[in-house]
Amino acid sequence: MSEDKLFGLIDLNFRFELTKFKLVRALCKSRWLPLLLILFNLFIFVIILLAGLFGGYSAGNYNFGIMMVWILWWVLLILMLVPGFARMWCLMCPFPIFSDWAQRGKLFEVRQGKLGGLNLKWPKRLSSMWVLNLAFLATTFFSGFFTVRPFATFILLGIIILVAFLTGLVFQKRTFCLYLCPVSGFQGLYSQFATAEVRRKDPEICKKHTPKTCFVGNEKGYGCPWLRTPFDFAKNTYCGLCLECFKTCPHDNMALNLRPPGVDLLVDTKREPRGLDEAYKAFIMLGIAIVFYLAFQGPWGVIKDMVRATTLEGYLGYITFHTVFNLLIIPGIFFLFAYLSKLFSGNKEVPLKKIFTNFSYTLVPLGLGVWIGFSLGIILPNGSYLLHILSDPFAWGWNLFGTAHFPWTPVLTHLLGYLQGATLIVFYLFSIAYGFRSSRQTYPDLPQARRGWIPMLGLLTLITTAFLWLFMG
Amino acid sequence: MSRKEIIAVILFILATVITIAGVVGVEAYRRRELYTVELTARAPEHGNWYPQEITVPLGEEVRILIRNIDTVSHGFALPDFEVAVPEIKAGQVAVVQFVANKSGTFPFLCTVWCAGRHMEMRGELIVE
Amino acid sequence: MKNKIIVMLSLGGLFILLILAGLPSPASAHHSPACLITRAKDSPKLPSPTSAQAPEEKLFEIKARNFVFTPNVIQVNQGDLVRIRLISEDVHHGLYLDGYEIQTSALPGQEGTLTFVANKTGRFTFRCSVTCGEFHPYMVGYLVVEPNSPFFIYVFLTIALALANLAFVVLRRS
Ligand code: SF4
Ligand code: SF4
Ligand SMILES: [Cu+2]
Ligand SMILES: [Cu+2]
Repeated sequence: MSEDKLFGLIDLNFRFELTKFKLVRALCKSRWLPLLLILFNLFIFVIILLAGLFGGYSAGNYNFGIMMVWILWWVLLILMLVPGFARMWCLMCPFPIFSDWAQRGKLFEVRQGKLGGLNLKWPKRLSSMWVLNLAFLATTFFSGFFTVRPFATFILLGIIILVAFLTGLVFQKRTFCLYLCPVSGFQGLYSQFATAEVRRKDPEICKKHTPKTCFVGNEKGYGCPWLRTPFDFAKNTYCGLCLECFKTCPHDNMALNLRPPGVDLLVDTKREPRGLDEAYKAFIMLGIAIVFYLAFQGPWGVIKDMVRATTLEGYLGYITFHTVFNLLIIPGIFFLFAYLSKLFSGNKEVPLKKIFTNFSYTLVPLGLGVWIGFSLGIILPNGSYLLHILSDPFAWGWNLFGTAHFPWTPVLTHLLGYLQGATLIVFYLFSIAYGFRSSRQTYPDLPQARRGWIPMLGLLTLITTAFLWLFMG
Repeated sequence: MSRKEIIAVILFILATVITIAGVVGVEAYRRRELYTVELTARAPEHGNWYPQEITVPLGEEVRILIRNIDTVSHGFALPDFEVAVPEIKAGQVAVVQFVANKSGTFPFLCTVWCAGRHMEMRGELIVE
Repeated sequence: MKNKIIVMLSLGGLFILLILAGLPSPASAHHSPACLITRAKDSPKLPSPTSAQAPEEKLFEIKARNFVFTPNVIQVNQGDLVRIRLISEDVHHGLYLDGYEIQTSALPGQEGTLTFVANKTGRFTFRCSVTCGEFHPYMVGYLVVEPNSPFFIYVFLTIALALANLAFVVLRRS
């Protein structure tokens, strides 16, 4: 498939190498690059934590912590960072800086020899997205508190930072980021869609180069903290974009590329196989988007009362429904269509599990589109609060930039439905474009792939229509 | 340690310890300079006015910082000195200023229908 | 042969989908029981380019309580003169209407009113505009101005794209 073109326009093998510009390359190779951004975000998050602590019980819409985390950070992640630049956030994330410092003993310089801490290996059986899936799902149980109560956000962030630190003391490198961080899973999944990637340039150079300094590290930098093998990995999912491999490669063989969105969705190699864990991540993200939309952007007071736990029964009901919906109902529906696909294709040999997993990746673009739509529904009506909280971050009557009394002003909300719908349709296009390709990968010949694709096309269309109804109907 | 490492460590400390100390210090100083008392507004269900009794010296200029840390709007009125703030939004801060020129006990109250027990949201200013 | 049957079947399925999409959306299935007064307006000159019905005057009494509006979905036809009385049942609430960019607010015992001509079609969210509690940003309701053509256009577009993809897949040789 060397001439495979997305929508008949963009060659899937097309890459635009950003690091061919001297400045970008120099930046990537400088040890200041992630560090300064991390320190800047550390500063921001220290203020967020302070505001969360002082804000306590008060209304979230005038609190710096709540607004920065759930309006600015979340929306930036979903709208720009992840779809555009994969795990760009992980590049500048301050959460693991304490454990990094503890392991390395240095902030800027490169420590030679063994890293500090116990350096244990994470158990093989847990080396997947499952823990991330459950951690994220469990986090969303409390979304009725995190997103509105400053102190709840304080606790959430505090736990993340603390666990990151402790994990770093016990386990090697970025084990926390790979297998525990609640923000990690969806970034990994949707990074497969991203339009940027870090990859090696010339495989021949890598083959000849021993020892592989990008994996073991050298005096210029550390071996890949995310335990990737920079010389041959092919999927964005677990690359933290930390840029260490640019520093450790003596042949300048690492590249930061722009690429057509979504090419990782077709990757299925022995080293980086498709898996049920990522399939479930896709289901969970879709399911959470539905529940969140109903609870936070829908007009139904009953659901809101359940989510904010006015009664214990209601809250337990929400948790139960939420869990069952995400872990059973959505995968169940998908399974049904996977089964139909097998029936339609007429192929008896292909295992159902393979069909199920392969097709689940078609939910990645669509899921991302849904989340972008949902996030537009957060930022457009409520973005104006940001002006207020920037001037008065602790609600103490400060007025740093003179905008403390800026009134709540919805922006472009007359277009909200159209924007949400249009985003959805664009991402739906990507879903069906990659969907048929997945079908080709699943079934041995073209006629089977064709027939097997039809139920899936139907399902994706149904999901899109359902979301159009939620957004606009 | 190289010079760059030292710079990195300094930046780290700036971002954490110094930021926290700075924020807390500036606010403490600001309050000492500007206000006589700080008053916290919450609906009676969640703690009511705090403190519910304010004591100020006779004849002095008084500045009260009213901080609404609640999730609903409140108001403030001190009828005997003719000061009022019609609405203090949740998470916002208002300042009132007057001269305590008569002694005695004077009521202050919330003027926004903020909760079921809104009518109980009252306190007293004692001038002596 | 088998191939063709399956293609036919799926085309049929998508066609049914299309028809389903053509049905009124559930938000408007019930004819707004909340609408108190509906009467034909005296002046027939108000614009009504697409809807067959004559413009009417509609009055809604919307009760606001933490954190829900009752009724939460109101439905009118394009060209209708809409009057809204906002009544608060607990604390200070507001109502801001997306798309029409108008707002009012109500205290307990002191209601707010809005009057406007529903000349834009589609679904618009109305939001509480006075901080009324922790879930205040999530306190919303929908105004549906029929015919909700944007929604149908988007759905038709989606289905057209699905059909195009199907055609492409079926016609593809290698
Ligand atoms: S995985 Fe989590 S903790 Fe690690 S860098 Fe990314 S967001 Fe930060
Ligand atoms: S491959 Fe590893 S070292 Fe290279 S940017 Fe990704 S996470 Fe960092
Ligand atoms: Cu009050
Ligand atoms: Cu309200």
